[in-house]
Amino acid sequence: MARKRSPSSSLSRRSFIQRLTFFGGGVVLLGSTACKRSPPEEAKPAEPPPVGDSPHGAFSGLELATVAAACERILPRDEDPGARDANVPAYIDRMLQTPQLTQMKTDFLQGLSALERRSRSMFKKGFAEATPEQQDDLLTIFKDSGQGTGEAHFYELLVVLTLEGLLGDPSYGGNKDRVGWRLVGFDTVGTVAMAPPEGYDGPKCLRECGDHR
Amino acid sequence: MTKDPVDVCIIGSGAGGAPMALELGRAGFKVVVLEKGAHYRPKDFVHDEILNSRRNFFMPLPWEEPHLVRVGQGGRYSRTNDAWTANCVGGGTVHMSGYFYRLKPVDFRLRSTLGEVKGATLADWPLSYEELAPFYDKAEAELGVSGEATPHPFAEPRSGPYPLPALDVHPIAKEIDRVCQEMKWHSVPTARGIISKPYRGRTACAYCALCGSYGCEMGAKSGTNASLIPAALATGNVELRPKCMARTIEVDKDGRARSVVYLDPDGVEQEQPARLVVVSCTAVESARLLLNSTSSRFPKGLANGSGLVGRNLMFSSFGESRATFRVSKQKAARPWLTAPDPFVNRSLQDFYLMPDERFGFRKGGTLGFMWTHPNPIFAAVDMAGTGKDGVFGKALKDKLRAYRDSRILQFEVYGEFLATPGTYVSVEPSVKDKYGIPVAAITLDRHPADFAATRFLVERGEEVLMRLDPDDLQRVGIAGETTILQHGTCRFGKDPATSVLDKDCRAHEVPNLYVVDGSFMPSAGSVPSTLTIAANSFRVAHNLIRKLKKG
Repeated sequence: MARKRSPSSSLSRRSFIQRLTFFGGGVVLLGSTACKRSPPEEAKPAEPPPVGDSPHGAFSGLELATVAAACERILPRDEDPGARDANVPAYIDRMLQTPQLTQMKTDFLQGLSALERRSRSMFKKGFAEATPEQQDDLLTIFKDSGQGTGEAHFYELLVVLTLEGLLGDPSYGGNKDRVGWRLVGFDTVGTVAMAPPEGYDGPKCLRECGDHR
Repeated sequence: MTKDPVDVCIIGSGAGGAPMALELGRAGFKVVVLEKGAHYRPKDFVHDEILNSRRNFFMPLPWEEPHLVRVGQGGRYSRTNDAWTANCVGGGTVHMSGYFYRLKPVDFRLRSTLGEVKGATLADWPLSYEELAPFYDKAEAELGVSGEATPHPFAEPRSGPYPLPALDVHPIAKEIDRVCQEMKWHSVPTARGIISKPYRGRTACAYCALCGSYGCEMGAKSGTNASLIPAALATGNVELRPKCMARTIEVDKDGRARSVVYLDPDGVEQEQPARLVVVSCTAVESARLLLNSTSSRFPKGLANGSGLVGRNLMFSSFGESRATFRVSKQKAARPWLTAPDPFVNRSLQDFYLMPDERFGFRKGGTLGFMWTHPNPIFAAVDMAGTGKDGVFGKALKDKLRAYRDSRILQFEVYGEFLATPGTYVSVEPSVKDKYGIPVAAITLDRHPADFAATRFLVERGEEVLMRLDPDDLQRVGIAGETTILQHGTCRFGKDPATSVLDKDCRAHEVPNLYVVDGSFMPSAGSVPSTLTIAANSFRVAHNLIRKLKKG
């Protein structure tokens, strides 16, 4: 869903996100872009997803390595934990296996292969083997590709999924040991009533909540 | 399959549908409530941001049930989940923040008080504040509202105090009171649809920090799911059918509503005959249902001989600024800054009408002050930005660390949203949702007076924030719209040529059809409309029951 509107437009993407603050908490779903249908530039039809190489089966071994490298550049480890410390790659792997997010998975895999191809043509090596500086350069190109392009769409999916994996409920497989919540101070605000109960299973609730028949 | 006939079939269980269900059930009528969403129980309400705010727990997925939105008739439609409210028993009142303001007397007489506005289709209400006031009292008592009425220039008359005392607030509220007083403005406690004390068998608010956008596991938030719906079911006369999606309203040969055709939880078509049909699916979705209910008697859609169903759509004008307080810098002077109290509950209504006619139209609005929502993914996605303004790597982590050291106070503007000929709901036959039903399409053509007023209000709010001596002030915008607040698509009025509903919210063209969500409102007001929708629905129910009992 391209939102090619001028920034002054009353329905620009920014204001779309912002005005939803009325409910607080921004009901944005995974990107207002998640329903976008056009594949990234120069992308070929998606190959069938290989099975068994990643813990939840969304990625091949190479793809998982690329995802891990890319999200570690979005949130690198420094004095605080990074994306890998939070188990973000496993989160993305698992989340993209959600049946209702099939289109997002297709988009993400196409973006991932575009990233890998660009890395090979620019640096003569795969994204995971490129230097952190090269990886940052390539991610910046994707980021700045312009609204509506496949590259920008992939970059946004990568960032949003990485942040969900860092800051979501640990029952989805990311935010290991709540490192994300500690990073942003979420563990110090509010009361105990805020935390989901022990043993809470977000993915299960997502599937089954409200079925009281 | 055709079900046994009932007295009343209500479509929707939110702020509009639930009061009707409760009052009709109490009066002994047999009622069926169709609700497209699930019936969540308190144990389903968990503070999981991914579940609540980022998937389809409340809001439909835009690729399964899109709304099409475009700016201007020549614009291209985007598929979005804009302008949905929660799809579940209780509707938008489940995930609301519960800012329960009343309209002001002037809102009922905007056109005659402030004059016609060029380019807008402004109309007075066929009703006065005084006529609605007793039903505001009733809605506040039935739902449970906590507040404190204080005098200010635009304070609406009240018959008495709020049913419940005001909720406890964060110490920052006192500072807002002080700086407003310095400017000779009036810092008003914001009434909330949240109970501050145990009330009618419900548990009081536990002051957790995740309220708006979440369901309340305590049942302290006064959504209809926690208040009116349980009471309606307890009458024994009301049957609630969740996960039932209404497709059309059928008419008999005389053009009266005969039944509601809907898809049950298994996707099987059912027909519910009823003597009366009450529509309350939100202003966008109610218009869609009527427009999709075509027949030889109503080829343009049910009750739409006038062509007005879906016209005059209004949201609420939105503006926002944020003041950031760095805890490490301010902690010594303001040791209370990190206090966990979630509520600020302060509003400014001194500019409900503008002091003069500098923008042509004198309608102003309300500023509501609050802490920014603590949802961390929401905050972090905002910090990461997009495109050239986007950051990642160390820059993003530095922002996340700065956020940890911050408390961020914001205000939201609730401004008048003028109805224009270019802002409306239609249906798009070529785009269908997962049920195979043509979806609602929204065309927006905003009136420039809205933006002028919102900018003015944002500037006043920033004066307040600046006087609080923050470390940073950021304007978020002046040109947004809050699309979960929806009004106007079945405007009520005296003249069938200019309105869809009569004063009792009964369709001019269909004598046994009522619409009781925000659709009836000819002007949207400059406050969130949830309480007004509930109050009006109690009023409609009161008049309807009197009429039915007379025979």
